[in-house]
Amino acid sequence: MKFKTLQEIIKKKSFKKEFAILTNLKNGETEIFEPGRSLSKEFQNYQNQVENFFKKKKNGVIENTDIFIESYIRPIKVIIIGAVHIAQYLVDFAKSLNFEILIIDPRGYFATSQRFPDLKIINKWPEEAFKEIETSESSALIALTHDPKIDDPALKHALNKKFYYIGALGSKKTHENRCQRLKEAGFSDDQIKSIHGPIGIKLGGKSAPEIALSIVAQLVSETYKK
Amino acid sequence: MKNSFDEKILEEASDWVQANQKVVLATVIQTWGSSPRQVGSRMIVNEKGDFSGSVSGGCVESAVVRECVGLIKDKKPSKKIEFKVSNESAWEVGLACGGEIAVYLEQIN
Repeated sequence: MKFKTLQEIIKKKSFKKEFAILTNLKNGETEIFEPGRSLSKEFQNYQNQVENFFKKKKNGVIENTDIFIESYIRPIKVIIIGAVHIAQYLVDFAKSLNFEILIIDPRGYFATSQRFPDLKIINKWPEEAFKEIETSESSALIALTHDPKIDDPALKHALNKKFYYIGALGSKKTHENRCQRLKEAGFSDDQIKSIHGPIGIKLGGKSAPEIALSIVAQLVSETYKK
Repeated sequence: MKNSFDEKILEEASDWVQANQKVVLATVIQTWGSSPRQVGSRMIVNEKGDFSGSVSGGCVESAVVRECVGLIKDKKPSKKIEFKVSNESAWEVGLACGGEIAVYLEQIN
């Protein structure tokens, strides 16, 4: 690899825009690929294959070629509703697992930077907050307030946007009531069933870090099913 | 989940080059069976055999360092090496997981 190419890659990384590094394993040529941009002569025969491979968000050698692709894909966005105690542990776990975390909580006394250093906290009601966050089918939602005023609008947004993971904290009874409200709001049974509630896998623990661990375990497991 | 944006191995490689070291980038390009590090995992090696990062769980790093130093000595631009369990040298360096990996070495120039 040329030093110049290495410098370009480092610059691209700092912008956090998605791209890939292509290497021809036969002759060592390297090129940076960006979605929608055509490749140089060296790689242009592989344009379609490269684009398809990049869409799968994977690294590897393209079948029947000598082209290796390393994809730089932005981490999965996990939106937490409620800057509560469990959220503090969730943030710790999820950070080392390379998720991008955002917290929404309109209650100023919870959502302080002292409780969540170095984290983006949006101190607004979910309906307002979601206007400034880009979300998609590859986003995840963890609703922790078990207050319908705060959780429900966020759950509705996540259902409409088809988030791949939606979890909501609360007892079986709380969840039944929640499902009923969503049904009355016009969501289908299938949509409502896609919510993990009560949230988390069964570990048996009851403390805040234990609940956070059970949630994050479910989140990771659902991510690999995606 | 892997997040290549936050990994700093390429930045470190750049620092080494700027400190006038000869640097080889070793990248896991293929894996078969169970292997400790995923495709795209990297380590860097300089002419003295100093290294950073990893391509396995400590199983084949010593062999990779040897190969990288050799690449610099022979002034070769790149090379692909494979580690298999059935291979005697792999037993020697111990790919105990039973997997196989291919590592691509390239000099930064």
